[in-house]
Amino acid sequence: MKTQPNDVVAEYLREVDQRLAGIPVLQRRELLNDLAAHIAAEQAERNLASEGEIIEVLERLGSPEVVAAAAHEEAGTRFTPPPARSRNKTWLIAAIIAGAVVLVLFLCAFLAFTGRDSSVEGPAQPAVTADAPSPTT
Amino acid sequence: MADDSQLATSLRRGTLEFCVLAMVETEDRYGNELVRRLGEEPSLAAGEGTIYPLLSRLRRSGWLESKWVESPSGPPRRYYGLTPGGRSALDHFRTEWVQFRQTVDRLVGTGEAA
Repeated sequence: MKTQPNDVVAEYLREVDQRLAGIPVLQRRELLNDLAAHIAAEQAERNLASEGEIIEVLERLGSPEVVAAAAHEEAGTRFTPPPARSRNKTWLIAAIIAGAVVLVLFLCAFLAFTGRDSSVEGPAQPAVTADAPSPTT
Repeated sequence: MADDSQLATSLRRGTLEFCVLAMVETEDRYGNELVRRLGEEPSLAAGEGTIYPLLSRLRRSGWLESKWVESPSGPPRRYYGLTPGGRSALDHFRTEWVQFRQTVDRLVGTGEAA
């Protein structure tokens, strides 16, 4: 019963910490210490014991996203997503590039074929240019 | 709704820090106290946790100083106080703010005379 509220707090602090990548390490540690001290003081001064009461304290602090965003704004840094997510992103980009390359190759092959065809059907071209002036008259 | 919160965020930016400085002008206060007081003001209330990065910046820029003090009723508290630099920054803000407010009131039509 007594370990449960602390689990929620540890989880919350971990969630915040995960979003602090890019912030200088001392500022990062300072914020986590300040948040932990805030929660501990609320807990002690207001005699909070239940998980529900602790969750209420955490909700008033704000979501890990909101708190980390404020930290990045004050530090002048940007949130960089964790490596696992960015690797997914690079795979996605690689797949798009590979797709584009294949498409271009197909297009080149197609144009090469049609280009050869039109050079074979040489006499067809004068007929087209002869037709062209007719709309003006 | 998104626009409302955007406006509140913009107005808070640049003014909230001076509200914090003013709160420790006459006596030192600890984090929970500052956060609780600010939380009572709906127009200033973002998440309470967003105050701590602000306190950190004000301390790093030399406007606030902090010290950990033992508490009779719980874990040690981190008290914040105004430095001489913070005091002159607050004085400067007060002058600027009055002029700024008067200009905005005049242009937007929110002044007493309007």
